[in-house]
Amino acid sequence: MAETQDTQQGRDQLDLRNLIERLPALVLCALPDGSVEFANRAYHEYTGWSVEELSGREWQTLIHPEDRREFDDHWSAALASGKAFETEARLRQSNGQYHWFLIKKALAVSHTQSGEPSLRALIACEDIDDRKLEESARRYSEENYRVVVETASDAILSIDDGGTIRFANPATERIFGYKSSDLIGKSLTVLMPEFLRAAHEKGLKRYLDTGQRHMNWQGTELTALRKNGQEFQVEVSFGDLDSGGHRVFTGFIRDISKRKQAEARLRETELELARVSRLTTMGELSASIAHEVNQPLTAVTNNSNACLRLLADHNLEPEVLRRALKEMVADSTRASAIIARIRAFIMKTSAEKIQAYINEVIEEALALAGHRLQEHRVLVERQLTKDLPLVMADRVQLQQVLLNLVMNAIEAMSAITNRPRMLWVQSQLNESGNVLVSVRDSGIGFSSEPDDVFTPFVTTKADGMGMGLPISRSLIEGHGGRLWGEPNMPHGAVFSFTLPVAGESPS
Amino acid sequence: MTTAPVVFVVDDDPSVRSSLKFLIGTVGLHVETFDSAETALQRLSPDTPGCLVLDVRLRGLSGLDLQHELAARNCQVPIVFITGHGDIPMSVRAMKAGAIEFLTKPFRDQDLLDAIRVALERDRMRREQEKEITGLQQRFDSLTAREREVISMVVAGKLNKQIADQLGTAENTVKVHRGRAMEKMHAQSLAELVVMMETLKRLPKKAG
Repeated sequence: MAETQDTQQGRDQLDLRNLIERLPALVLCALPDGSVEFANRAYHEYTGWSVEELSGREWQTLIHPEDRREFDDHWSAALASGKAFETEARLRQSNGQYHWFLIKKALAVSHTQSGEPSLRALIACEDIDDRKLEESARRYSEENYRVVVETASDAILSIDDGGTIRFANPATERIFGYKSSDLIGKSLTVLMPEFLRAAHEKGLKRYLDTGQRHMNWQGTELTALRKNGQEFQVEVSFGDLDSGGHRVFTGFIRDISKRKQAEARLRETELELARVSRLTTMGELSASIAHEVNQPLTAVTNNSNACLRLLADHNLEPEVLRRALKEMVADSTRASAIIARIRAFIMKTSAEKIQAYINEVIEEALALAGHRLQEHRVLVERQLTKDLPLVMADRVQLQQVLLNLVMNAIEAMSAITNRPRMLWVQSQLNESGNVLVSVRDSGIGFSSEPDDVFTPFVTTKADGMGMGLPISRSLIEGHGGRLWGEPNMPHGAVFSFTLPVAGESPS
Repeated sequence: MTTAPVVFVVDDDPSVRSSLKFLIGTVGLHVETFDSAETALQRLSPDTPGCLVLDVRLRGLSGLDLQHELAARNCQVPIVFITGHGDIPMSVRAMKAGAIEFLTKPFRDQDLLDAIRVALERDRMRREQEKEITGLQQRFDSLTAREREVISMVVAGKLNKQIADQLGTAENTVKVHRGRAMEKMHAQSLAELVVMMETLKRLPKKAG
């Protein structure tokens, strides 16, 4: 609404009023005290107020009481300065409902027919109810997000495409020990132990370059680093979004160290239970072996001693001696037969071979070793071929073999500090159609011929029995496969075994 | 009742049985073998002197079960246990229940023969003692009521005159009763009679 300085004839004024009347906007004209002189048609139609209802009424009484004070301040300031203003306020409709309006007001000098100048307020209103609703919804939603982020028990962090922290919620401080303000601008790697930093930087770069993810983005378990230097287990989930041509990654980091400790305790209990029950079985077995074998040995000893006594007394008849010797031969034969029978029992009947997916067995063994792998900061890389044919296997025995190989690998890497401790576990089909499993490490490797390690009671470990690999080899041979070791290049060792595919006779 | 002692061998393994019979026979002992606790129970009686060489692990009743059963039947035959795999609690149980020895197979022959010798010696002593006590009891039972009355007062330290006064009889009559009772009891002296009466008093059975 432009200010009007017109001093033309009344006809012109009538024309102007006519013009205002037809404006497709809500316009009204009021005296300086706010009482309505006239409102245009659009105004009446939109608000529902009739000419009678509005005429002479102080227009500001239609403003929502909560918005009234602000409006009045603007109004009187405008009167004093003679300047236009605009503000937002809720206005009552004739049906009693309030709508948000953008209100623009200008002062104008009008002239009566006698030519006397008089002050008028020209007011234009625009319904902004929809925009206001949207705004409040957006504000509500933002507020909501803020509360969620601030009260979350998980650390929530955002990094930019350079890996620099741009945001950290209060939980981050509780979990990691850094003030949020200290983290902003730092690299995310300060929250990681040394051994993960390079992998993170490489992974981030690869994703930005190729879009290829180097890890699972939902619920990945990793090791994190607190400000006090303590390492702990976390579960990380994150997502990325494009913000004005820049990538922003937001991650949720959950402290699962307590859960992990509980899991580790549970696993140790389970292992201990398994060990005890194995010992019990072995104890029972050895007791029964002792009893079985001791009977013929006792008979042989008794017969020999009896003969020696008679001999000393010069009283040993050849016939008596012959009978005693026959019994001794029979009892010795019996003793060795018992031993052969027990051996056969241990080797054969204890294996329960069923059809199994080798990758599942590998995962089970890795899960069993998970605690030790983490403890020794060994990174595991799986190279498992999908859709391998089934093998006939005693799962427990295969797990035992795999666990043995993995534990050996961990020990072989425990002294390695100048290179990553890597464990590669591979499954594939070899050229002769057998399943081939390899466990490869970056450890100290072999000090002599690789096959020497399969000799019973040969060990490089301080507390080793030297039985792990010989037993593993006979277990694999019991499955119709082979187990062997080779040096890994450039470091470490690789142990491989084959298993015939289910339904085929062992090659 | 002067039969030769018997070594009873109970083992379910025929080789062990026959080798034990052979070995124990070399020192001139009489051996009887059984393949189970049940068959041994049928043969064993308190009257037969001897000892038991008993395997712990048997089919049916175990060696320890047999030990209990014999005790319940008041058959006090000394037992030498032999076992293929003895554990400490098992041997403690056996020894507490009165076993002579607990040997783990295969054992030294001398250990077994020594244990058998100890067992037989113990059995012989127990039987002698028992026989003596039985004789004593029989002799005491042969006394008349008046003779018992008189000697119980004698061993209590009373003089013949005091006894006569108390019983309201003549001192000479007391002397006759006393002399006859000493004779019946085969007591050479007053001191011997006192010992005999003390032994009888300690018996768990009725003291007269």
